[in-house]
Amino acid sequence: MVELKNVSFRYGSEEGHEYGENSLSGVSISVREGEFVLLTGPSGCGKTTVLRLINGLIPHFYPGFLEGEVLIDGKAVGSQKLYDTALQVGTVFQNPRSQFYNVDTTGELAFGCENRGLPEQEIYRRIDDTVARLGIEALMDRNIFRLSDGEKQKIACAAVSVAGAGIILLDEPSANLDYEATLALRKLILEWRKEGKTIVAAEHRIAYLWDLIDRAVILRDGKIIRELIGEEKNALTPEALAGMGLRSTIQESPGSVGLPSVLNEDETLTLTDFHFCYPGSKTPVVNLPTLSLAAGEITAITGRNGAGKTSLLNCICGLEKRCNGVLKYRDRTYNRKARQKLCFMVMQDTGNQLFTESVLEEVLISLPKGTENEKEQAAGILRALDLDQYLDRHPQSLSGGQKQRLAIACALASGREIIMLDEPTSGLDHAHMLETAALLKQLKARGITILVVTHDSELIRACCTRQYTIE
Amino acid sequence: MAYSSAQAQEKRRGFLDPRTKLALVLVLAVFVMGGLGGGQLRQIKTVLSALPFLLLLAERQWSRFAKGLAILAIGYGLLLAMPYLPGVLNYIALMCGGILTRFVVTVVMGEYLVATTSVSEFISAMERLHMPQTITIPMSVMFRLFPTIGSEWRSIRRAMAMRGIHLGGVKGGQVLEYQLVPMMTSTVRIGEELSASALTRGLGAPVRRTNICRIGFRAQDFVLLAGCLFVIAVWILELGGVKLW
Amino acid sequence: MKNENKLKGRDLINIGIYSAIYFVILFAVAMLGMIPIFLPLLSVLVPILGGIPFMLFLTKVKKPGMIFIMAMIMGILMLLTGMGPWPLLTCAIAGVLAEICFKSGEYKSAKKAVLCYGLFSMWIFGNYLPLFTDYEGYFAQRADYGQAYIDAVSKLMPLWMAPVLLAACFVCGLLGGLLGRAILKKHFEKAGLA
Repeated sequence: MVELKNVSFRYGSEEGHEYGENSLSGVSISVREGEFVLLTGPSGCGKTTVLRLINGLIPHFYPGFLEGEVLIDGKAVGSQKLYDTALQVGTVFQNPRSQFYNVDTTGELAFGCENRGLPEQEIYRRIDDTVARLGIEALMDRNIFRLSDGEKQKIACAAVSVAGAGIILLDEPSANLDYEATLALRKLILEWRKEGKTIVAAEHRIAYLWDLIDRAVILRDGKIIRELIGEEKNALTPEALAGMGLRSTIQESPGSVGLPSVLNEDETLTLTDFHFCYPGSKTPVVNLPTLSLAAGEITAITGRNGAGKTSLLNCICGLEKRCNGVLKYRDRTYNRKARQKLCFMVMQDTGNQLFTESVLEEVLISLPKGTENEKEQAAGILRALDLDQYLDRHPQSLSGGQKQRLAIACALASGREIIMLDEPTSGLDHAHMLETAALLKQLKARGITILVVTHDSELIRACCTRQYTIE
Repeated sequence: MAYSSAQAQEKRRGFLDPRTKLALVLVLAVFVMGGLGGGQLRQIKTVLSALPFLLLLAERQWSRFAKGLAILAIGYGLLLAMPYLPGVLNYIALMCGGILTRFVVTVVMGEYLVATTSVSEFISAMERLHMPQTITIPMSVMFRLFPTIGSEWRSIRRAMAMRGIHLGGVKGGQVLEYQLVPMMTSTVRIGEELSASALTRGLGAPVRRTNICRIGFRAQDFVLLAGCLFVIAVWILELGGVKLW
Repeated sequence: MKNENKLKGRDLINIGIYSAIYFVILFAVAMLGMIPIFLPLLSVLVPILGGIPFMLFLTKVKKPGMIFIMAMIMGILMLLTGMGPWPLLTCAIAGVLAEICFKSGEYKSAKKAVLCYGLFSMWIFGNYLPLFTDYEGYFAQRADYGQAYIDAVSKLMPLWMAPVLLAACFVCGLLGGLLGRAILKKHFEKAGLA
């Protein structure tokens, strides 16, 4: 039994000042044993904060100002040690790359039990049991850095199973997963349901678990705005969902949207001889003797995890030295080096492509040398992208969506004609997804060719005009 | 057949116990690189110098073996060529050759240790040597983060190529700052998330941690450890003025 | 009060994070050092570049022991990579001095932070010690390389280089500390990391 009684929370510094706005105000939730509760709502609604209160990271890891009570089986979480809460609560986090502590999968599964000092034989027994039940034999004794994001997330779930806590928290576990991997995650959750685990999930992408949950709690600005039980949740119209800032509840494969890849009347850009394999491997990840894509359109590039979508973007951008293909665009042929100046990619870790100390400076260094009225030019581009109120902010302090827009501002400043985006809407809520869609349309209106790797069928429906699926 | 983690762990066990490897690194560093000991130890040192190369062969680390051998060959090559070289080149050859031949053996041994020891084996060995958690926890975090730093670094360099930032290009002088700052920012952020995840899984509980990896001394460990003791004994006797041969 | 000062899981992980970044920088510079001419440069480049992660690390240090542990870890890693046991000794000494210095500034003084890093950087000198500890013996051993060899090496690495290298570590540490402070102000504070 998990109970939050009239809880309010503000993040703040350890010294006891600098409090921001309330992340939660007066929230009361109780979760019965064996129940599956979904927390959802737009970004910043406080759903992750609720999970942090339950697993004890608040107040032990994230300090702040807390009112009200958070209880597990009648005991206050804040007054017990984190390692004691760990016995009752297991958490799967959003980012598959940062939540594992070990380099090998077996060690990762054992980690929770090792920390508690369980006997070796007992740990082996639990691992074997979990591996058999979840069917992950093929993932064992592997280097975690060589797993796909979907596989990493499976290991994170299995680690929670091995540790054996009765309460499982899921913090946007599907944010980085493609359609198939999300279905696999759904299967794991079903397994936990059978075992009678208590599950609390915070998610934007609610479609894959909508029919599994007992109850949906919808938050906005730190308050509960609605609770839906049983039939109520199935009776919601798409308009009502959008009104609450929620994503669609219908699980749709991105491949099934079914847009054309190129139309006869399209102007095209043509890739020739695009082949790429990772060093030391003989299996090509990208293998395209020739491919035509529509210029001036928004093309969605879809395909399974590991199908080589990101590698294809890298090759087009001229970032893979081992790929010798050429690109033909508007009667000109571009080799690898030339493509680096023609194309721009907004990477998944947008933070890694921003270097300077202010938003304005970031755009200034992108303008071609000798540009007149540099500052006005830069400010103009930033205004068009709705970033003009952040000129002096440090790029690394921006939100994910803002970083994306800044990267695009740099692309515009340096006059790129082809802009590519790698999973721009992973972890974004409904409103931010629509913002991204609107931005892409704006770029299209400027005559820019856009390629977007995505598994988000809502984004494809919202803005894409062409689609290419990698087999 | 069902998966057995216990058997898998046994199969992954290395040829030597990590503690034996550590002892060998130490002895090599002190006697070969540090140059401790006099005339009697010279023959022993030759044998010692060959040891890391033999171990690399035993663990089938062919490319590392070849690399070590190549560096050693270059070092001796330079020393041999030195007397026939003119002026400044002579000095440079000497300097490079001297340092290469001196350092390469222990560096190869260190490389052997790093290449053939898994993180959990190493941590487990440290715990058996009674290293406190205040040392073993930070070190395990470090080993976990090295590959992360590597991949962040590569992704930043690609982003720089795309933005047209390179030496001699746009703001060439600031390249290092542009590279280090995002690398540190993302490493620290990943590290924070890593901390949060580890703490919700009971890291730091005041109990004796279990470690499921298999380590322990076997025949080959005892032979090599005895060898280390022998070298030290010869050295001590020599200090006392006793000559064995 | 005693309990407050005990290092917790999060502190230990922080030590790990910053030691990893520092070590990667050290390692990258040491790769240059494989070309022996650059060997003395280790005592210049490592303290200067290492100041960037170290100054950020110090913003997380609020309890005694964290700096000392980082120093000892550097010593252990030098041992593992075959640099011998001498760095362990210099790490212990430099670690204690740096620890005392930063504590005297109540874990927040910026001036003490820079001085602390200067003291910390002196551990690097341990890597050179095997060259100097047995200076005569070293040459006696290499007599068969000929007099030219001995002359050359003692010209490039004369005994008086020892204190020079030690001083270089300290002074460049101070410079690195200042550089680290500048980057901290310019980037990390604004990015919300410090």
